Amino acid sequence: MIVALVLLLIGAPQGAPQGVPLHGDALARRTQEIASGLRCPVCQGLSIADSPSEMAVNMKTEVHSMLERGYTREQIETYFVHSYGEFVLLQPRSPVIWILPIAALVFGIAIVAIMLRRLAAAPRTKKIDPDVARVRNLVKGTTS
Amino acid sequence: MNRFVLSTGAVITAALVTVLMAGLGRDPKHIDSPLVHQAAPAFALKTVGTGETVDIASFRGKPVVLNFWATWCGPCWEEHPVLNETARAHPEVQFLGVVFQDDEAKIQDFLRKRGSAYPTVIDDRGKTAIAYGVGGVPETFIIDAHGTIVAKHDGPITQEQLQSYLAEVLR
Repeated sequence: MIVALVLLLIGAPQGAPQGVPLHGDALARRTQEIASGLRCPVCQGLSIADSPSEMAVNMKTEVHSMLERGYTREQIETYFVHSYGEFVLLQPRSPVIWILPIAALVFGIAIVAIMLRRLAAAPRTKKIDPDVARVRNLVKGTTS
Repeated sequence: MNRFVLSTGAVITAALVTVLMAGLGRDPKHIDSPLVHQAAPAFALKTVGTGETVDIASFRGKPVVLNFWATWCGPCWEEHPVLNETARAHPEVQFLGVVFQDDEAKIQDFLRKRGSAYPTVIDDRGKTAIAYGVGGVPETFIIDAHGTIVAKHDGPITQEQLQSYLAEVLR
């Protein structure tokens, strides 16, 4: 029985518990906190803390049970990510998600800046109508 | 300069349109399973009716068709005959139904009326469904003889789809 349990823990994606088992108010608070960051897979953008669906309730129960056994937040999130993918995290772990829009904004500003600089540097040559130019030359000739 | 701005704009627009078009064609309820090509999560659950424990590990050496379903799910009724027929035609493949968010009496009634060619286990607290990343029912996992998930199918499965998955694990 113990061997089976150990094998199950080793085989589990989250491994053996690395934290302190929680109880009482601390357990309820931490469950709520972690559940608020996990997406309910059957809802539209709701966390499992906010959804009344049975699936969300089951997932929240699992978070509660794992905290009770001493799993850390990171281990619990790893467990859910292993099953559902990064989609399950309401705040993705990957920094690319946050960096990409900022990089796109910087790129856009750089293009606009280059464009404005080139426009400012370009010589202001105005195309003059040939007839107007001829008249100007004639006027110039009579005045000089 | 204008050519540079135009081509940059065209590239950005084309990339945006491609991403949006790809998103439009997708089923918003579909979740890509990170478990495909991974070992099938272990579980041992009680069989509906007999109460005998079925351990997924005991099927090692045989391909497994693992179907998550519930009696309240319409599409599950639709695919039930397909699974039954295919299970009868392929005794070399182990079919296993996992019911969750359901009542045992209702499951027994359903199986009595509609027949069952393979065992059905009950996932009381949805723990196994969570381990498999199930987002809704029906969902079917195709597991090869080594215990590796080779495919996940969302929604009711057709005879053709099931045959094509089986061809993959029976090669």
